[in-house]
Amino acid sequence: MILKKNFKKALAICSWLFFLLLSSTALAQSYTLNGTITDKSNGETLFGASVFLKGTTIGVITNEYGFYSITAPEGNYTLTISYLGYSEISQEVALTANQKLDFEIAAVSTQLEEVVVTAEEPERAILKKPEMSTVKLNIATVKQMPVVLGEVDILKSLQMLPGVTNNGEGTGGFHVRGGAQDQNLVLLDEAIIYNTSHMFGFFSVFNADAIKDVKLYKGGIPARFGGRVSSVLDVRQKDGNNKKFALTGGLGIISSRLTAEAPLFNDKGSFLIAGRRSYADLILKAAGEKNSASFYDLNLKTNYALNANNKLFLSGYFGRDNFDIGGSFGASYGNSSGNLRWNHIFNERLFSNLSVIVSKYDYKLDLSVAQFDWLSSINNYNLKYDLKYYFSDKFKLDFGASGIYYDFDPGQIRPTSETSAVNPLKLDRKKAFESGVYLSAEHKLTSKLTAQYGLRYSAFSRLGGQALTDYANNQPVVYNPILGIYERGTAVGETNYEKGKAIETFGNFEPRIALAYELNAVSSIKAGFSRAAQYIHLLSNTSSATPLDVWTPSGKFVQPQLSNQYALGYFRNFSEKVYSLEVEAYYKTTDNRIDYIDGSDLIGQNTIETEILNGESRAYGLEFLLRKNEGKLTGWVAYTLSKSEQRTPGGAAGGLGINNGNWYNTPYDRTHDISISGAYRLNDKLSFGANLVFQTGRPVTYPNGQYEYEGISVASYADRNSDRLPAYHRLDLSLNYKPNRKPNSRLKGEWVLGIYNAYSRKNAASISFGQNVETGANEATRTAIFGIVPSLTYNFKF
Amino acid sequence: MKEKQETSFENHNARQKSEETRDVLTLGSSKATAVHPYLLLKSITMKNIIRSIVLLILLSTTSCEDVIDVPVQTAPTRLVVEASLDWEKGTAGNEQTIQLRNSTAFFDTSSNTAVTGASVKVTNDTSGAEFVFADQNNGTYLTSNFVPILGQSYTLEIIYNGETYNATETLNAVPEITDIFQDVEDGFDDEILEAHIVFTDPPEEGNYYFFKFQKLGELLPDFEVGDDEFVNGNEVDWWYEIEEADDENDVRQPFAAGDVLAIEMYAISEGYNNYISILIDQIGGVGLFEATPVSVKGNCFNLTNPENFAHGYFRLTEVNKMSYTFE
Repeated sequence: MILKKNFKKALAICSWLFFLLLSSTALAQSYTLNGTITDKSNGETLFGASVFLKGTTIGVITNEYGFYSITAPEGNYTLTISYLGYSEISQEVALTANQKLDFEIAAVSTQLEEVVVTAEEPERAILKKPEMSTVKLNIATVKQMPVVLGEVDILKSLQMLPGVTNNGEGTGGFHVRGGAQDQNLVLLDEAIIYNTSHMFGFFSVFNADAIKDVKLYKGGIPARFGGRVSSVLDVRQKDGNNKKFALTGGLGIISSRLTAEAPLFNDKGSFLIAGRRSYADLILKAAGEKNSASFYDLNLKTNYALNANNKLFLSGYFGRDNFDIGGSFGASYGNSSGNLRWNHIFNERLFSNLSVIVSKYDYKLDLSVAQFDWLSSINNYNLKYDLKYYFSDKFKLDFGASGIYYDFDPGQIRPTSETSAVNPLKLDRKKAFESGVYLSAEHKLTSKLTAQYGLRYSAFSRLGGQALTDYANNQPVVYNPILGIYERGTAVGETNYEKGKAIETFGNFEPRIALAYELNAVSSIKAGFSRAAQYIHLLSNTSSATPLDVWTPSGKFVQPQLSNQYALGYFRNFSEKVYSLEVEAYYKTTDNRIDYIDGSDLIGQNTIETEILNGESRAYGLEFLLRKNEGKLTGWVAYTLSKSEQRTPGGAAGGLGINNGNWYNTPYDRTHDISISGAYRLNDKLSFGANLVFQTGRPVTYPNGQYEYEGISVASYADRNSDRLPAYHRLDLSLNYKPNRKPNSRLKGEWVLGIYNAYSRKNAASISFGQNVETGANEATRTAIFGIVPSLTYNFKF
Repeated sequence: MKEKQETSFENHNARQKSEETRDVLTLGSSKATAVHPYLLLKSITMKNIIRSIVLLILLSTTSCEDVIDVPVQTAPTRLVVEASLDWEKGTAGNEQTIQLRNSTAFFDTSSNTAVTGASVKVTNDTSGAEFVFADQNNGTYLTSNFVPILGQSYTLEIIYNGETYNATETLNAVPEITDIFQDVEDGFDDEILEAHIVFTDPPEEGNYYFFKFQKLGELLPDFEVGDDEFVNGNEVDWWYEIEEADDENDVRQPFAAGDVLAIEMYAISEGYNNYISILIDQIGGVGLFEATPVSVKGNCFNLTNPENFAHGYFRLTEVNKMSYTFE
């Protein structure tokens, strides 16, 4: 009911906005050019290529599918197409009618990995577009950076940029502008990826050989994205070579990968299949080790052009981690996703894409030692329709709608033998539906001022078909003033919610606005505001989120997170664009950020509401990014000064709340974060790379006293996150060597030697406090995951 | 592999059968016994996964654990109440001790922590009978006329430094241990010895157990807790083993013939279960993938100045104590 009402209201506002904009823009005697820009060597469509009419201010950037549309008054023009490390091409165009022109552009370099010394346009400061707080990484740049364990890692590269951090070594995920891991929307070909890492963060789930481009929105999230309050990481897979058969691969110490791609159906389509597997487990087994750990992933993509205006894409991802502990205990987890997309060009100005997406994350623990296993999963089915209307040179419109159906299976226990005394148990399945509609405009208001403004309306319903516990005084958590602790509320019964009816429905308007003002030819200022809602939450009371954490939907007891972010930035190019500087300040607040009561128990917990309190968080910071984009030496210096904290009052449960209701650091607060990344190209054969990282230590909770009890020394702990690990710093080095090869040989190879943590700093992943088992004295034990880690990889292309 | 796993959980019934029959045992032929699944889930999942990853990493690198100096905060001193009135099965339970101490700075090894001069008494909440604990001037307070009654609620009152602390607790009955034996096939490692204790959980729900295991010659005991949420009324086979050392810093050795293990099994209240569970999770430190450590609050409430709460707990239990010598 509420859903319907809100939905109607949103539609009304959107259409009003649409017509307002439509009527305000005058139509001259104009014609439209449109088409697709692709790579000459492999037919991959290029996202972010600029298409310009020389001598005018009329131009456009290609969309995710390489599509462009330019409208200009009748006349003769020189059309110029440029893109990162590709030869710029120009063509004379007599614009007397609407035309479709596709272009193929060739990469400058014929090197194995198109190591482009000139940074791509999007990596420079872009002055005209209001888009800010975004990072677009070129895979070639990522591949130049030193890596750990010989695997190119997109996530680790992103963490070298301002505003992006991780939670220390040995942890998965990433944090953006003081946000939590679950506040990032991670998309692989539009499918939601719930866990971004293999082996607890040692590897990312993205196989760089199968990835075309990566874009991270740290703020100013466009209206077409919704569902997370902190960031969007939009990763797109390659479509597959439609010119010739190609084989790419790499052999490493821990893992290897192979990618095959080829044209299909008389070059009307193509496919790509990429696989990656670690084989440390095989070595461990051969060495007589009973425990093993391994991962693999598989990327699939195929596309088929029905005709000039219709193209189909099918993509899939399957990844899995497996652990086996001496046969008595096993764990396995992974993402899988599939996506069918239909690109349809209605006319030269209207581009559309329809996607049907399925994605899943699940884990299984096999506790053969106790004769049971434990399963948990989250599934979602997503239908999405996005359109882009190139109304005029001054005005472009994005609009669309999406619906996501979620099926949460928080956990079930199954006895694995008949002798098992463990009773089968199933935690309640939870179902929910999330929908969104949006309308967003990019509007050139004057020659200096460009605006991007839009509105998203999102709605979320937690669906019935189950019973929920009722609590005395409607308090799932109650403060016990005698003991001074939060306790689980008293269950007084159950309310049954019928199938097909919503338990709870939420709706939110999410306005997004960004402005860019060009101060002069080399500098601009930008400002933005965005509001975002998040309806699903990852439950984790550990210092770092783990692959075994469970997602839960908003509902009767858990409110949607709502964030407001304000950002202001200054952008400048120096010395003929050789250098660029980006400075941004942000302030972000998030309502309804939950935290966990002392002694919370999330494993196998059917009533999550008894373990949590509702709070808020805020983060603010200043980010500097200075890049050198050209020359033998390229790279950047990034610095972030920031604060991220939260507050969790007692609320309906009574009491002052966690930490007496005072603000406390979030586990991902970093005061200082400095990252320096550089690549030096000596000649065609040799290049070097280096990363230097310095970060303030992660907030943790240390003891503030001890007492004797039950014959041991018990630690009493200080306020939540009131201490910090020692500062984190590290230097990585890499060397890239491309041996001489016969000029007409198809096989091209390169050696990559990497050294992670070159001066072997023992960075604390955690410090734990306990008694020495021999002397009984209290001591602090540091766990450092990596010392110095050398790696050697051979990459080839055939 | 599969068959081996199945048979390895036949527990002590299977253990008496020959090797040949073991592999062809039919399902359902043995007694249904179990340990608490959630306890297992909690205690083994993350730690073991981490251990396995660390192994993987060790292959190519140098992960390490070392003892370092870390500056920590120091909280004001608090009173520590160790009021554990444990009634050993088969004894009169008249003699009981309460320890009062002070908390100290975390790395402090020199302070004398004994609290003297407090007045300590326990009252039977039904009869009003009072048991006064006499100050021994060394932090120990004694009585020799305590009357334990199963299911009875008692209240502790401590007056110290002009402040009054209060706590209430009920004495719970512990089931009898019906069998105690050794085996190798259970446990996380099916090649090392573990001790088993077998008891039958009472038919009513809501029983909580606290186990204390101490190998003779080791300095520190091991604590475990369990409850009957998923094994209510069943016969429970609880095992304890010491795993092989993973690195040179770990000096603990698995059980061998001749080793002596002291076992204590307490019936505890739900409140004490909540308290001791957090405490156990935090003993030995809290790693990367374990819950963020918290300050644990017991049940001793300061009536005079609630902010100045006491550490420790007023617990009342019935307890089985025994010792087992490995063969």
